[in-house]
Amino acid sequence: MNAFTVLTDSTSVTRPIFQDIHLIGRTIFYVLAAAATVTFLYGWWRRVAKYRRGRSAGRGATVRSALFANPFSGVHARRDTSSVGVIAANATVSRRHLATGVAHFMVFWGFIALFIGTVILTIDYDILRLSTKLLLGHEISFFYGTFYLTYSVILDTMGLAAVLGLAYLGVRRALIKPPQLNYARAEDPPGGYSRAKMVAGDWLFVWGLGLILLTGFFVEVFRIRAENFPPFEVWSPVGWLGARLVQALGLPASTSLGVHTFFWWVHALLALAFVAYIPFSKALHILADGVNLLAHDKSGTRSLPAPAPVEHIGYQKIEDFTWKELLDFDSCTKCGRCHAVCPARAAGAPLSPRDLILDLRQWVDTQSSGVTLLDREQRPEATGPLSPNGDTKIAGSVISTRTLWSCTTCMACVEACPVGIEHVSTIVQLRRGLVDSGDMDPTLQKALQNLAQQGNSFGKSARMRARWTKGLDFTIKDARKEQVKYLWFVGDYASFDDRLQENSRALARLLHTAGVDFGILYEDERNAGNDVRRVGEEGLFELLADHNVNALQAAHFEEIFTTDPHSLNTLRNEYPERGASYKVWHYTELLAHLVETGAIPVEPLNWRVTYHDPCYLARYNSVIEAPRRILRALGCELVEMPRNGANTFCCGAGGGRIWMDDSYLTERPSENRIREAAELDVNYFVVSCPKDVTMYSDAAKTTGHDGALMVQDITQLVAAAVRVPELVGAAVVASGAADAAAPAAPSPTPTAAPSPGASAPSSGGESPARDVAPPTIADEPSDPTAVSPERSASTDTEPAKGPARPTDGPP
Amino acid sequence: MRIVVPMKAVPDLVEEIELTSDGSGIDREYLKFVLNEWDDQALEEALLVKEAGDAEVIAVGLDSDPDIEQALYAALAKGADKAVKLTGAGEAPDTHARAEMLAGWLGDQGADLVITGVQSPDDLDGQLPPALGARMGLPHVSVVTSIEAGADAGTVRVRQEFSGGRSTELSVTLPAVVGLQAARQSPRYAPISRIRQMMQAGGIEEAPLSPASGTSGLRVRRMYAPESTGHAEMLTGSPDEVAAKIVELLSARGLVKG
Ligand code: SF4
Ligand code: SF4
Repeated sequence: MNAFTVLTDSTSVTRPIFQDIHLIGRTIFYVLAAAATVTFLYGWWRRVAKYRRGRSAGRGATVRSALFANPFSGVHARRDTSSVGVIAANATVSRRHLATGVAHFMVFWGFIALFIGTVILTIDYDILRLSTKLLLGHEISFFYGTFYLTYSVILDTMGLAAVLGLAYLGVRRALIKPPQLNYARAEDPPGGYSRAKMVAGDWLFVWGLGLILLTGFFVEVFRIRAENFPPFEVWSPVGWLGARLVQALGLPASTSLGVHTFFWWVHALLALAFVAYIPFSKALHILADGVNLLAHDKSGTRSLPAPAPVEHIGYQKIEDFTWKELLDFDSCTKCGRCHAVCPARAAGAPLSPRDLILDLRQWVDTQSSGVTLLDREQRPEATGPLSPNGDTKIAGSVISTRTLWSCTTCMACVEACPVGIEHVSTIVQLRRGLVDSGDMDPTLQKALQNLAQQGNSFGKSARMRARWTKGLDFTIKDARKEQVKYLWFVGDYASFDDRLQENSRALARLLHTAGVDFGILYEDERNAGNDVRRVGEEGLFELLADHNVNALQAAHFEEIFTTDPHSLNTLRNEYPERGASYKVWHYTELLAHLVETGAIPVEPLNWRVTYHDPCYLARYNSVIEAPRRILRALGCELVEMPRNGANTFCCGAGGGRIWMDDSYLTERPSENRIREAAELDVNYFVVSCPKDVTMYSDAAKTTGHDGALMVQDITQLVAAAVRVPELVGAAVVASGAADAAAPAAPSPTPTAAPSPGASAPSSGGESPARDVAPPTIADEPSDPTAVSPERSASTDTEPAKGPARPTDGPP
Repeated sequence: MRIVVPMKAVPDLVEEIELTSDGSGIDREYLKFVLNEWDDQALEEALLVKEAGDAEVIAVGLDSDPDIEQALYAALAKGADKAVKLTGAGEAPDTHARAEMLAGWLGDQGADLVITGVQSPDDLDGQLPPALGARMGLPHVSVVTSIEAGADAGTVRVRQEFSGGRSTELSVTLPAVVGLQAARQSPRYAPISRIRQMMQAGGIEEAPLSPASGTSGLRVRRMYAPESTGHAEMLTGSPDEVAAKIVELLSARGLVKG
């Protein structure tokens, strides 16, 4: 300790700068450093000039709030936007890829520390010492003593961390070879292609960084050896140990100095070359991706941007993209996470979100005589993205029509992308051009025409919309005429599809029996337009939405619930800007509340089930817990599929895919999903989206699992668990005669004994139904697998605490 | 070349169609009208001819048809050069009155080619194209599935379809009237935003008609909703057995000579 105090007071506790590099050497170094800086600035300026050609993205506020308003938002929980904290913690890199994230974190902070170290040294040596020498005649420096020792130990440690992190990443690339790092395209272009240069670029990056780190340590090692181990240099532990090693290997101090000089030059040249190389290579992501994350906002996928530009529909030139989109393209690190999760890619479609981004990047690069050196695909003929012709259509030839139409808009790519790239909105912008030129499947065209004519994709008369209610023995209120608490936005599938109407009726009975005060819009409801918008038919979306907005404004209700998660998405996120701003629930949120409070009394089912999260519910709108709460309340044993919650796998129906031909797919996404569920040894495949019932029932049949795996809407489970079967059973079959026989059966004026909590069904007449406390919108569960059987078992008894059974009748 | 496409709006068959109380017609009050699908084909073929060469396409409709504006705007959105709504057509003219009024207006239009749907749900025997041809004194071909430039100037080559999968190719001297069965490709999509643009631009011209001189001599006394009476008999067995049963059934009804 004494020695330390003595030492740290001494100005000799430092290391020489430019130890044995003399004037010519130093001059050369400064000239090269200047050249590297100029090259770097030139490359960066070219990039920025390119982004500035893009349209405004309206993300100024996003960037500002990410920077200042909430710098730690989203570090722990998944959020729409990113923040300085998210970037600093590399949170998006480690999400679902912990080892990679940690390794990246080590390299990230290692290099930042080394960079700061270099800046400090420059400040001391090139600014402070030089200026004081010139002005005062003697040098002032702070680079000695305690400061120097602290500096040494930090930089040594961080350098070591970077080496270890980088080593892991290199090993992962070379030996572990995760499938997403395979750069094979989803579809080979005619004439073939090669991505060897991309691979070369990656390795140059890895080895470049690695050699800079290693030579840096070598410089230190040989300096310490050459100086014969000044005792304070133990504060450079890596260098010290290395020096001991070379000493043990027999290298004398005198030779060491020469070796030191050699490595000093190698290190300096590599570092300068790297700085110059950054804007021309994959290393650009060091600069671009932080900015891209700050500007990232998932709500831009939930609520799509308006079409642009005005003078032509669909993107045709660089200026049509927003700067965020242009930055997206440059930000891609080819990590392949989106490629791995994309249902279209898994189904054998030509679409891979990674390829899409890389193709657009390369096209923009070609059009703007870009500056990328290695990170490019090569083709024998300059086709598609490589085509130098400015008039190449983007939608249709840079990105093929089928590729664009293959997207289910499931958002898995946006969710997975560690650098905040937003594929879906760009895909829809390109689709808008396809729709404008009529480049689409005949089946899709038919659906759109039906939607334009009748407001539903089935091509049925708009006046038949509420016909499904005919099978009920009560009349659902007409929210156009009388006040209700909830407006049920039923949706096309739940209204018109023969296979689903019974499901809608079951839900209506459950709600009616539980005394929920709800109504529907009858024939004034139209398709909500969510999928129409994602198809790219903006005009039709506006037509449908405006009709619905008018109908909603004229109706009498407080809040909305939907059956369809797709409708939910657009009602919740896209209608407010069109003038209809309401609280919008999903029916599972409502049911969860009703079964938990006992308003719907249930008995344990004890079924072994798995649950499929609809993309538009879980990933888009974070409704993840509500269906699980229902399953727990029903005493079901929930076995989660590996891909669940916000990480769910798409059924393949979204984004208008349900209206398109899928015969070109090798395996439908729904079949892939059923196979995933079949591994779990469960009997029920529970869904909470009408489209899912049809998609998965079909898939269960085509994969031959329909015997073992029953596809059921969660409504049916609740109906099956209702404690008094007569209660709902009566509603199912009862006619007037049954009522007479069973006076306690539900009727417009239930005879329930009043019970504490007043949760018994009310008449639903004048008085608004019980205040259904707003179901909370769940965040991503911290551990989606935490739904343990014990937990569901313990909740089994809870509904029993609920109100007296309405059919118990008077004692 | 100047191509005129007369179009008609017909009740949307998706709706339940009801008869008027006296049973002499269908109740048009609550019905939704859509473009006759054969006229949509006619428009598509006209646009294909236009795209293949130099032609001007004019879509025309009668103001007697509810919602005809919608069809005319859609035609403009798809690429028609002009859309004309003829006014003064009265109420629900029958096919002959329609032909007479159209022919009257077409007389001084200088059209080289009139392409219209070969039939419509209320003209299932396809009288409009021949009636038009007759009134205008022009050659006429019906049940056409393609129109392309002819070998000589002033002609077009058309493909006429017969039953049993046969067809023939004819050279027609212009001007002429064509009743179109199906266009070479399915009718294109009219994006709603384009239709809305057309509506905002207000691109429909109006032209007055001279009223039809008289009636066609037909009077509808009573209409009947089709009754579904039939029952279906499923034939089973090998293809040969099924074929034998069909022949047997047909000859039993005297439809083929056994
Ligand atoms: S939204 Fe889904 S289907 Fe579309 S590219 Fe992304 S992952 Fe693939
Ligand atoms: S788009 Fe994002 S997730 Fe996909 S490869 Fe690029 S960086 Fe990775």
